[in-house]
Amino acid sequence: MIIIAIVVGCIIGALIGTYMPVIPYTYSGYLAIAIIAALDSVFGAITSSLKKNFDIKIFVSGFFVNAILAMLLTYLGERLNIDIHLAAVVVFVGRMFNNLGIIRRYYVEKLSNKKIFKKAEETIKIANEQDKK
Amino acid sequence: MKNKSIATVSIAISCVVLTVGIIMQLNTIKSFNDTVGGQDFYDSSLRDEVLRWKEKSDNTAKELENAEKELTRVREKSTENDDGLSATEQQIKDNYKLLGVTSLEGPGVEITVDDDNDINLTTSGPIIDVGNHIVHYFDIIHIVNELKNAGAEAISVNGQRIVRTTAIVCIGNVIMINDEKVGAPFTIRAIGLPEMLAPALTRSGGYLDYLKSWGLETDIKRLDKVQIPKYTGVFQAKYAKTVE
Repeated sequence: MIIIAIVVGCIIGALIGTYMPVIPYTYSGYLAIAIIAALDSVFGAITSSLKKNFDIKIFVSGFFVNAILAMLLTYLGERLNIDIHLAAVVVFVGRMFNNLGIIRRYYVEKLSNKKIFKKAEETIKIANEQDKK
Repeated sequence: MKNKSIATVSIAISCVVLTVGIIMQLNTIKSFNDTVGGQDFYDSSLRDEVLRWKEKSDNTAKELENAEKELTRVREKSTENDDGLSATEQQIKDNYKLLGVTSLEGPGVEITVDDDNDINLTTSGPIIDVGNHIVHYFDIIHIVNELKNAGAEAISVNGQRIVRTTAIVCIGNVIMINDEKVGAPFTIRAIGLPEMLAPALTRSGGYLDYLKSWGLETDIKRLDKVQIPKYTGVFQAKYAKTVE
């Protein structure tokens, strides 16, 4: 369900994006950091919806506030001649890997659980047949 | 269940926003790579600087354009009630047209010339001299010359207007026209009588015919409406003095 939503969203976004204008060079750095922040929020949302504790308020506020804060920090870093955006990238990408790990674990566990269930069912079946005999 | 559908929808929407951003960024980065011409810069800060200067120059050009528009508007407004002055205004406009500082349109031709893109052993023999299969700056000069001879009133090459100070020179693998780099394929537009312009190049022994014999890809179209952009540079007369 979530996977379908992501795929459809990405296709629609790509279609809209091709008709968007090119932004000036000075602002492309800010857009890049905003993209990373938003990507982190989306991964967080997927994780929380898998854990069934998804909260729309937290997600929406995180999506925008993180992106804006990251852009502001990048701007500040440019003024102060410090690459603050590197710190933001490290934090966001680190969190992304954390969330990715949780998502991976969830699906792997689901798969292996399925296998265990199947095996158990088969054993029960065999046992039942043997009982009948 | 309701919570799950909210989550799905909001994730889908955020994915839309995210991909729009990513595609925009990709397009932007691609356009920058086109600007720096795929050159290898030792230092990324050098590349950064080039792009910043380019942006600054683009902005200044835009400002100049706006200022010129404003100037034209003010001049038109101040001369509209005076017959003598409107005649002068018309004269200025005609002179601008001849100088090449206004965009023009009219009947004419559009010529495209491209490098020979399918050179192989059967078409060119065992020894390939790449120089024979690409468009050189003198090819462009020849075409422009022929067009002028055939009575072209305005000519542009890849969006660069040919004016009286225009030089077409070779700078390595591209050509420089009006201090701007242009590369193949070349689109040459000319305003004039199409029946005069086209045969001047396509007649047997004409220059397009000659280029075709080398295997270059050429095409000529007679059009009812050709648009020619204006010259964006500056004319100078630092040393020339009018003889009294």
